[in-house]
Amino acid sequence: MADLQKLHDAILSGDAKTAAAAAQEALGQKVPPIELVQHAMVPAMDEVGRRFECQDYFVPELLLSARAMKAALELLRPLLAASGAQPAGTVVIGTVQGDLHDIGKNLVAALLEGGGFEVIDLGADVAPEKFVETVQRTRANIVCLSALLTVTMLSMRTTIEGLKAAGLRDRVKVLVGGAPVTRQFADEIGADGYGENASVAVSLARTLTAPAAIG
Amino acid sequence: MLDRPFKEKPNFEHLRAVLMRERTDGPVPLLELAADPEIMAEVTGIPFAADRARATIFSTVGSIASLDSLDADTAALAVALMELSLAYSRTVGLDYVTVIPLVPLVRTRAQLADTGLGRERALRSWQDEHRGLITNRDDFSAYRWPSLDQISLLPVDYTATKMPDGMKVMLMYMGIFEDLRQLMGFETLAYATADDPGLVDDVLEGLTQVAEYTVGLAAAHPATGAIFYADDMGFSSGPFLSPRFMRTHVMPRLKRIADACHAHGKPFILHSCGNVLPLMEDFIDMVGIDAKHSFEDKILPVEEWYARYRNRIAIVGGLDMDLLGRGSEAEVRARTRQILQACAPGGGYCMGTGNTAANYIKIDNYYAMIDETRTWNAEHGY
Repeated sequence: MADLQKLHDAILSGDAKTAAAAAQEALGQKVPPIELVQHAMVPAMDEVGRRFECQDYFVPELLLSARAMKAALELLRPLLAASGAQPAGTVVIGTVQGDLHDIGKNLVAALLEGGGFEVIDLGADVAPEKFVETVQRTRANIVCLSALLTVTMLSMRTTIEGLKAAGLRDRVKVLVGGAPVTRQFADEIGADGYGENASVAVSLARTLTAPAAIG
Repeated sequence: MLDRPFKEKPNFEHLRAVLMRERTDGPVPLLELAADPEIMAEVTGIPFAADRARATIFSTVGSIASLDSLDADTAALAVALMELSLAYSRTVGLDYVTVIPLVPLVRTRAQLADTGLGRERALRSWQDEHRGLITNRDDFSAYRWPSLDQISLLPVDYTATKMPDGMKVMLMYMGIFEDLRQLMGFETLAYATADDPGLVDDVLEGLTQVAEYTVGLAAAHPATGAIFYADDMGFSSGPFLSPRFMRTHVMPRLKRIADACHAHGKPFILHSCGNVLPLMEDFIDMVGIDAKHSFEDKILPVEEWYARYRNRIAIVGGLDMDLLGRGSEAEVRARTRQILQACAPGGGYCMGTGNTAANYIKIDNYYAMIDETRTWNAEHGY
């Protein structure tokens, strides 16, 4: 039996080399790739998120774990695609127009990827039309919007309105977050969820893509 | 429109006494880390092409190797900004004028983006968060640190000759942790804390030597009233790096910088954005800050900070930027009064924005904050 704990612990401790080696070793022992994702990688990133929330981990630890997770995932990605494994959901993520801050957005993207989601990262300073166009041509069911400033967060409203106008609002759940964003603001603009940190965003994405939540 | 100054005559000595918590009587002073040129131009009525200035500054900063390489346009712009700053302090009726020393530290080139929402044009500069100038040991060896004799207080000298009686220079210095993030890029820095902590230490030490010298030099200047040290260290949910890392690598160096200020008997005010509550004990006990600035209601309203720390440090500002940017004048007045009711009677409090008089706040809200504070002071006999 392959040592999935080794892969789990390597991700938790942010050790990319060991994570890749453990994944390779497990694949060599014919462990199905989806099993590595479900029983080692996702639980490890969940624990990273939990530790981040209780301030046992900080941004560097989170980035190091994400790097380790990606090192293992690179090996699995082609095998997962070939096996027809489906992601937990498809997320379009970006920092809204007028805003170039993207550390928080990158952390959310990394944790979502670690949580088994397919992530389409549009980067920073993304126009509402770009979000709309990307949702239109992909199978995205979640849109994540990030902002740093009290004025740029207003672009979140414009983006949601753009999704409505394009007839896409019922197809996607919209999550918002960032320094100035509050739950109240999220409610005001008609977002489906507000993540006060990167870890919460992953839990929310899971809840919102659960079968009962999808309208 | 500001119909008259906040007060008729500057009195830095009173501001100093408030910052050092030496008295609880007297008017509540106003204090900002900085005001964007658009705000200063609007307040003073002096035309100033703020967007062009910002673009010029950010196309130049990052390529200056020494002050000798400053071109005439940039130098003229710097003088115009100092004049604008002086006029702004006079017009508002402040006790200080903000001045930035000339430190030719080569930094990562910033990017500009038009927020386009708060005002007609509202460019803001953004730091590259991924890769900096120093990403490895070779970059560090090749990096050109400024020699100490290149550091200049020319802006302080210039301003000192033009300040009205009673006004002092508020020397703003960009902190070592902020510059560490600029020089290394945040992601590179985050990885380096695990992959090569020695490199992080070496960059920090280079920055500390420059900061310690500059702050000491500025604090010794007779025109300088206080040091406003700007060093963001947190997200809204917590510090960027672990308090343990900060305690080992950053705090002892911050103490050296604060000591360089205190050696000349000047207050050391810390501006640090984000949820830095887990770092506060170190700021107060290890570093020895005199005052803390930068607060957001979303993290913890300023009254709560005041209640927790009023017996140990002064508290500066705290009127939430979101309210100033999106709220109504009536809401700003109500919130200003609410803060004053909680923080003014015990002393050791200065009114101001939660961050800066930024170009995206509503100017009428800014005036409302000033006017409500002036009214409060008048109601209390000041």
